Amino acid sequence: MNQADVTKLMSQLRIAVRPNKRNLKNPDGPEGRLLKLRKTVTALMKHERIELFYNRADEARGYAELLISNAIRYGDRHKATMELADYWLLEKQLVHKLFKVLVPRYENHNLSYTRMYKAPRDYPGTYYRQSVLELRGNPYPTLDTDHSQNRNLLHNVLLDEARKEFRRQKLSDLVKSSQ
Amino acid sequence: MSAATKLHKTSWCALRQLQQYRTKATLSGSSASIAKRNDLFNQEQRRQRDAVGRIDKIEVRYLGLPEDVTLVMNSNISTPYNCAQHLSEGHCKRSALALIDGSVPWDMHRPLQESCTLQLLNFHVSEPHPVNKAFWRTCSFMLGAALNRAFKPEAGLQLHSFPGPNIKSGSFVHDIVLQTQNWQPTKEEMRAISAEMVKLAAQDLRIERLDVQQDLAQEMFKDSKYKSEQLPSIAQQTQGRVTLYRLGDHIDISRGPMVGSTSFLGKCTISAAHKVAEEGAAGAFYRIQGVALPSGFQLNHVAFGVLEERSKKPYHPPRPKTKGKDKRHSDPRSTSSS
Repeated sequence: MNQADVTKLMSQLRIAVRPNKRNLKNPDGPEGRLLKLRKTVTALMKHERIELFYNRADEARGYAELLISNAIRYGDRHKATMELADYWLLEKQLVHKLFKVLVPRYENHNLSYTRMYKAPRDYPGTYYRQSVLELRGNPYPTLDTDHSQNRNLLHNVLLDEARKEFRRQKLSDLVKSSQ
Repeated sequence: MSAATKLHKTSWCALRQLQQYRTKATLSGSSASIAKRNDLFNQEQRRQRDAVGRIDKIEVRYLGLPEDVTLVMNSNISTPYNCAQHLSEGHCKRSALALIDGSVPWDMHRPLQESCTLQLLNFHVSEPHPVNKAFWRTCSFMLGAALNRAFKPEAGLQLHSFPGPNIKSGSFVHDIVLQTQNWQPTKEEMRAISAEMVKLAAQDLRIERLDVQQDLAQEMFKDSKYKSEQLPSIAQQTQGRVTLYRLGDHIDISRGPMVGSTSFLGKCTISAAHKVAEEGAAGAFYRIQGVALPSGFQLNHVAFGVLEERSKKPYHPPRPKTKGKDKRHSDPRSTSSS
């Protein structure tokens, strides 16, 4: 049909974004929900790794990714993007951090800008889903186990032997071809 | 029947395993002989449990996370898994093998005999060699069980044995005899056998160990030609006692420790079946090879493809380092097994 191509109006984010917003419970209603999310996004940009309940983390993640994506796409001379950053980042030095630190960091990135992990849940007690939300490239040690350092782990043993055999094969081929 | 038999759980576990077996419609190898083997296994297990008599206490010093503790356990009844149960559920689920006195690898469900130090090993410790070997051996053992389930009775499958684990060769191996001399396995057949392995892993079957006398082992394996031939030489190496392992309803002979349960198997591919030799008029020995990773290891499909390709190459056992030590498993016709 003659449908306008609206797919290019907004950046495609590299995370799974829900089709509807979560109505996070707040005594101040939708306005309070937005204020809470602004605080969350501000904290994420400031600390680069935060631990919080899953629902709010997932909501804030979408807003944070879009903010960074727009900053990369339009740069810091674009009025609408500046206003967006001004609205979402409550501490104003983080606006500078966004354009001067995070944009260069993520300019040539093929992946998402944030990572979300599941965190241990408080059992017995309030059994809410916990998560850790972090920006990629943060200076802290990684949360997921690094299996590449210990060459004694089973998959590394197998890969090292495969690599040795490949090199042996290449060497013998080289010797044979040079003769 | 003594009152003590009502207390232990082995009879319930045995019944559950036999029920698992009875729901299977087709089974290669006579169902009656498998049932008889399992009955004898259960009886011997119960007899060994009853033979404990007065329960002696031992001090098991657990070294590791979250802290070093001393546990008071029952000699010849408590297992490293029971010690893990005193620590946490995470310890129970993660520990694949136990290390006694810092050096002796011990099955998770094998009763402890005297006071000792205990370490619970998982696949991510800094020195995972014993766990890796136990895992590789368990994969060969599981492959035997998977082949039993995969083949129809018409194929005339008989399991021969599996050699000691050699991780650096890139594949784990199981030798079988089939009543056909020209089996060219298709990709779908190999995938089906791999699927049987994954099904076994999903069932989370406990791997039980039992030390039996040679004559009971002969009685249990009297229907299996190759096992009966191997048993005398195996028993000779270990002073008349034979170690059996059970997984579901599949029982096999093996020397070394296995991991605690089939749930530790993650990605698995059975990659090749090479014909080794002909056997009799219509049969032949085949060597089934595969590669697997424990659960929790993520490898991209290209790297795993490299491992799969390597595991297809014919298995060569390592050259023995010292002359005249235990016979290496190079030819399935030789009567050695691990």
